[in-house]
Amino acid sequence: MNRRTVTALVINDLRQLARNPRVLVFAVALPLVLWPLMWFLTSLTTERRQERIESRTYRYAVADPDAGAAEAADARMWLERAMAVIGDDGRADNAEPTDGPAVRFERVEAPDDVAAALDEERLHVHVAWEAGGEDLPGEEVDRETVGNAGRSAPRIVLSYRADLDASDSAEGFLRRALERTRTELREQRLAAAGFASAPADLLPLQRIETASEEQTSGLLLGRLLTAIIVMMMLAGGSIVATDALAGEKERGTLETLLTTAASRVEIVTAKNLSILAVAFATSVLNIVNIVVWMQLDLIAAPAGLKLAIPVGAGLLLLLLYVPAAVLLSSSLLLVSGRSKTYKEAQLLFAPVMLVAMAVAAIPVLPGVELRSAIVLLPIANLGVAAREILTGDYDWPLLAAAWAVTGGAAALLARASLRTLSAEKLITASELDAADLAGGPALFPRRVARWFAVLWALLLVWQLNIGGGIDSRLLISINMALFGAAAWLMISRYRLPVRETLSLRVPPPGAWLGVLIGAPAGLVLADGIVRLASLAMPIPEAWIEAMAENMGAGLPLWQMLIFFSLMPALFEEIAFRGVLLHGLKNRLTTVQLVLVAGIAFGFFHVDLFRIPPTSLLGVFLVVTVVRSGSIFPAMAWHGLHNALALGSARVEQIALPEQPIWWHYVLAALAILLAFRLMKRRTRAAFS
Amino acid sequence: MSTVQVEVQSLSKNFFDQSRGEVKAVQEVNFECRGSEIFGLLGANGAGKTTTLRMISTVLQPTAGTARVLGHDVVSDPVEVRRNLGFYSASTALYPRLTARETLTLFARVNKYPAERTRSRVEEMIERFGLGDYAGARIEKLSSGMKQKVSIARTVVHDPPVLIFDEPTVGLDVLNALDLQKAIQELREDGKAILFSTHIMSEAERLCDRIAIIDKGRIRACDDLEGLRAATSQHYLEDIFVHYVTGNDTTA
Repeated sequence: MNRRTVTALVINDLRQLARNPRVLVFAVALPLVLWPLMWFLTSLTTERRQERIESRTYRYAVADPDAGAAEAADARMWLERAMAVIGDDGRADNAEPTDGPAVRFERVEAPDDVAAALDEERLHVHVAWEAGGEDLPGEEVDRETVGNAGRSAPRIVLSYRADLDASDSAEGFLRRALERTRTELREQRLAAAGFASAPADLLPLQRIETASEEQTSGLLLGRLLTAIIVMMMLAGGSIVATDALAGEKERGTLETLLTTAASRVEIVTAKNLSILAVAFATSVLNIVNIVVWMQLDLIAAPAGLKLAIPVGAGLLLLLLYVPAAVLLSSSLLLVSGRSKTYKEAQLLFAPVMLVAMAVAAIPVLPGVELRSAIVLLPIANLGVAAREILTGDYDWPLLAAAWAVTGGAAALLARASLRTLSAEKLITASELDAADLAGGPALFPRRVARWFAVLWALLLVWQLNIGGGIDSRLLISINMALFGAAAWLMISRYRLPVRETLSLRVPPPGAWLGVLIGAPAGLVLADGIVRLASLAMPIPEAWIEAMAENMGAGLPLWQMLIFFSLMPALFEEIAFRGVLLHGLKNRLTTVQLVLVAGIAFGFFHVDLFRIPPTSLLGVFLVVTVVRSGSIFPAMAWHGLHNALALGSARVEQIALPEQPIWWHYVLAALAILLAFRLMKRRTRAAFS
Repeated sequence: MSTVQVEVQSLSKNFFDQSRGEVKAVQEVNFECRGSEIFGLLGANGAGKTTTLRMISTVLQPTAGTARVLGHDVVSDPVEVRRNLGFYSASTALYPRLTARETLTLFARVNKYPAERTRSRVEEMIERFGLGDYAGARIEKLSSGMKQKVSIARTVVHDPPVLIFDEPTVGLDVLNALDLQKAIQELREDGKAILFSTHIMSEAERLCDRIAIIDKGRIRACDDLEGLRAATSQHYLEDIFVHYVTGNDTTA
């Protein structure tokens, strides 16, 4: 890559932007003023509204149809007491009395038509009462103190209009005052009935918070930081991204650029750098701007938020956000490259922003930790990582994993945006090629990754939200149904030949012996991988217990074998070693195929700690199909592997030793090699 | 005789279209172009001229066949091909907010012209194409004639040995078109190998040393004007063109 070329292209992009006064005004300068101004006006309006609510006089009316009834006396007493305290706690529930303006209630005559009076705001809240339930059994009480409350408590009915501010506020004030009075009456009655101590002293509660101020503030900032940064980066980056490819395409300058000696990589790198530079500059401008407004006390920071971040944590966050920034700029560039016009690009940015914001908001959710499947979700993983860093929790292996996952996704997107510079799509009317036109099996290899990406996303959402809370048999059945349905959909949608796609061939006889040797050896190696991975990511005890639980503890053996061995062996093999392998086999070399299809299988076990061993299993199963030319040995291996894993978990005698014995692994590796040798097909007709 | 600068062999390009199916835009095209030569591709709209030139400039990938520019293959060595190439067409626009001088500097840099000579080369181009009074003005403020001059200057600013002009006079008035033709002739005198496509007979007749008549993606004839006249017994290029494209003799 030529640095001079890239620099020239970046300077050109920035120069174009700097000389576009409309973009500068509307996309850069105006938000700088509008954002804090909106914030300022919102808090000002809220403050004013609160003052108005608290200083106005509310009109209420009381319907007293049966003034002589015992309940009426109770209700009147209750209402009077409530009216006496209404000015004290009008600001909020349980609030201390304040020096602020008191809430004033003015009684007016009860109208004939309550609804009309509320509608015309002659009345803000209407009070009525109804007879309560039967007398409660109990001892003699001092009626002078508690009135008739409890013996035949009346029901007070408040009528109001929730859509009218004054009426809604009046109801709120009155209801809270009545609730407070009810509590006081209840306490008085308990005391009168002989309750020894004050009710509040019954279960004394004291709260001691051990988090430091920095940790509490860090949690608040950590929850918001990623979403704010993503929003600012997208808002700033989109200014350049729209023009980067879509705008150039529309103007005709892209073809000029493509006929120069600048390589496609140089062009995409320059465009990404331009987007990043502007996104970074506008984000910094916005942050500085907001901080200045806060310093001038024109806007207030959220309660409990301190903007001070330790230098080390700040630098780590900066490093952490690099792949996220590249990912965002690449996605914007990709959208711009795929759009034919400036307007189309602007239109397509909306869903990108929505998705990015939804993912960036995940750290706000309670209970989401980095040491979970969330580490596999780009941007969200960095958001959760940032939150943990700001609360002083540095989980280094997982931080590295999150960085690598988002970095990998950024690289993939950058590569995809590079492909949009494929000239055919940019400058010719036809965007299709032979495979598009032919459709069916010819198109499938280009679509298979997309299908499995969607499937993975579905599985991730399902596992994160519902998966853990249901019966393991139902969970497996749904997962397998998902794989089966997806495989069937792909086969029918692309008219794939079933026998060839699923490698439904008779394997060489040695394959079965290979399976018998390979499956137990594979399990031993999987144990080795788990031990190796646990050096970086120690497996929590709770996880091991949950796994044992999920492995069907308490289920009859036949059910265990069906749900944990037979079903995965059938459905997962059809989906992964059948359809996925068929789609990828002509696009990758054998080594790439084994690694990609194998590791992809591991990633579909969205549990973080299961990914390493299941990836290894995936690799073995892909090799099995490639070597034998048939899916059947892979099904047998998978089924046997799972059955042995269940056995090792449930039968103590065959459990793996506490300490690893290295020669076990060497022996297992040799056994695997032997197994693959035995599987070798004799004819060339198989997996090709 | 000058050496071969552009060599095209059995070049083909197919497009795929939902309604029309497979479209064979260019089929088995062969020709070569030498230094100090203007080689014309003469054909009607949609004949395959632009697709051929876009394949040579590496913007499109050939479906089959090869094209080489100074020995560099358009598929395996596209950057070197483009480095030795200047591409001009009615659709290759300029950045409106750059000045003429900035435009020339940008294209010299992205075409990897030596850094130490860029400034003098840009000034030389400004002087040669008479842009001196407007070199500091933004492109969007220039007249169409001046824009066209800047376009030619940016095409040749990195001093490429091969130039492609794809229907360059489309949309130009007569005087601007004549200015452009004059500039192209001067570039031939500089020793450039020039590929020139047009559907205007008079232009091809006036400018081209050799002419290939292209129709439905195939080259029907390729020779100098005298050769074409001798082969068809027609005098005017228009009649020669009709002869090859329709197979009809237009003479009374």
